[in-house]
Amino acid sequence: MRAVVYRDVGRVEVAEVPDPRLEEPTDAIVRVSVSVICGSDLHFFHGKAPLEPGETIGHEAVGVVEAVGDGVERFAPGDRVVVSFVIACGSCWFCRSGQTQLCEDFRNLGAGIFGGSLGGAQAELVRVPVADVNLLRVPEEVEDERALFVGDVLSTGVYAAGIAPISPGDTVAVVGAGPVGFFAIQAARRAGGEVLALDLEPERLALAERVGAVPIDVSARNAQTAVDERTGGRGADVAIDAVGSAPAFERTLDIVRRGGTVVVVGMYTSETVEAQVGVWWTRALDLRFAGICPVHAWWDRALEAVRDGSIDPLPIVSHRLALQDAELGYELFDTRRATKVLLRP
Amino acid sequence: MALFPSDEWISLYRDLINASEEYREAGRTWEGDIAFVFEAEPDRGVAEDLVAWLDLRGGVCHDARMIDAEQGRRAEYEIVAPYSRWREVLLGDLDPVKGMMQGKLKVRGDLPNIVRHVRAANELVHLTTLVPTEFMGTR
Repeated sequence: MRAVVYRDVGRVEVAEVPDPRLEEPTDAIVRVSVSVICGSDLHFFHGKAPLEPGETIGHEAVGVVEAVGDGVERFAPGDRVVVSFVIACGSCWFCRSGQTQLCEDFRNLGAGIFGGSLGGAQAELVRVPVADVNLLRVPEEVEDERALFVGDVLSTGVYAAGIAPISPGDTVAVVGAGPVGFFAIQAARRAGGEVLALDLEPERLALAERVGAVPIDVSARNAQTAVDERTGGRGADVAIDAVGSAPAFERTLDIVRRGGTVVVVGMYTSETVEAQVGVWWTRALDLRFAGICPVHAWWDRALEAVRDGSIDPLPIVSHRLALQDAELGYELFDTRRATKVLLRP
Repeated sequence: MALFPSDEWISLYRDLINASEEYREAGRTWEGDIAFVFEAEPDRGVAEDLVAWLDLRGGVCHDARMIDAEQGRRAEYEIVAPYSRWREVLLGDLDPVKGMMQGKLKVRGDLPNIVRHVRAANELVHLTTLVPTEFMGTR
């Protein structure tokens, strides 16, 4: 089959690789209809996370089940499914408590040795371990492209807004209107919040505005002042860091009101910040580190939001390419000329 | 009138501090330089971050001037807020110590030490009102 493979820092290509096969009775093989390049794929593309040359990449896909192992009970060949980017065992204590992102055997598709050396989803076929846990059936009325993001970034946005106590009328400030922010905005609006989207890229702000947020261009306005103006000087009831950088984290704390909730859904690795913990304490901040999204606990409600139209994933798709043009797709996405690039085998 | 903040403004301010008996007494045990960071508000005429620096020790202001952001980060204390928030402080609309505890003014450094010197802080704020001040941009 053909698949996107990592070659070197800043270089991927489409190559012929062996077809995946059923390795465990609980596996399924999915024929990919559409996959997408994710921001986290760029960590590998830039060499910040390890992939060996020739390893396949990608973890978001919608497709049709091609084959299942004897131990798969919920799916059969022909089922249309979305794949979870978190590959969980489904049976450990964390999985049973709904925290699949903390699974004892946590794996990712297309993430090299850190992801359990599973094949990538930017391919014609992908092997999905523990298929009964890590696949979600797509209803007939939901098209592939609308279902695609439910396996990762859309559910992550729903999760970010979902773990904040958003009440109708609350002001929710989303720092970073990239893909996670884009979906967090829609989820927060779905919960009844008035959403302020803070970013400095005009395209992202335009997308945020299109889905109902008030755009705040932080290259032209001071974030704290702008949020204060909309909240009678109080600050936002809920502030969501959808960036994952120390300045963004600090900015998120700046704009939340006393007694408000901060949700940190942007990804952190080795960043450090200096904290006046006493000030956070005095401000009675509710600080929630989201970590990786436990997709399995959220994707039903994410798919429902897509189905009822309250979350529309399509505005974020800027490019639809054939799988064989993945190299171009990575270049467009890496240079921020694309907001989301879909790849069709 | 001196533009706030500027070397001219800070020079006038330093003279007022050093002429204040109240500050000499209240700040007697204060040791530490402070960088005041006025965050940019481009839509209000403050194009870039500005940093004013005071070297306050033993109730005396030994030095005071505008510095750059990098130098500011080396100060023992750094207090950061949007420009318009500092304006509220100077106009008496925001108590700075309360503002620090509420996160409206961000502090890097030993916050409890600042709180212990609240009398000195209040005098420093009071003295700003005596400087003939012209604010930047629009409110």
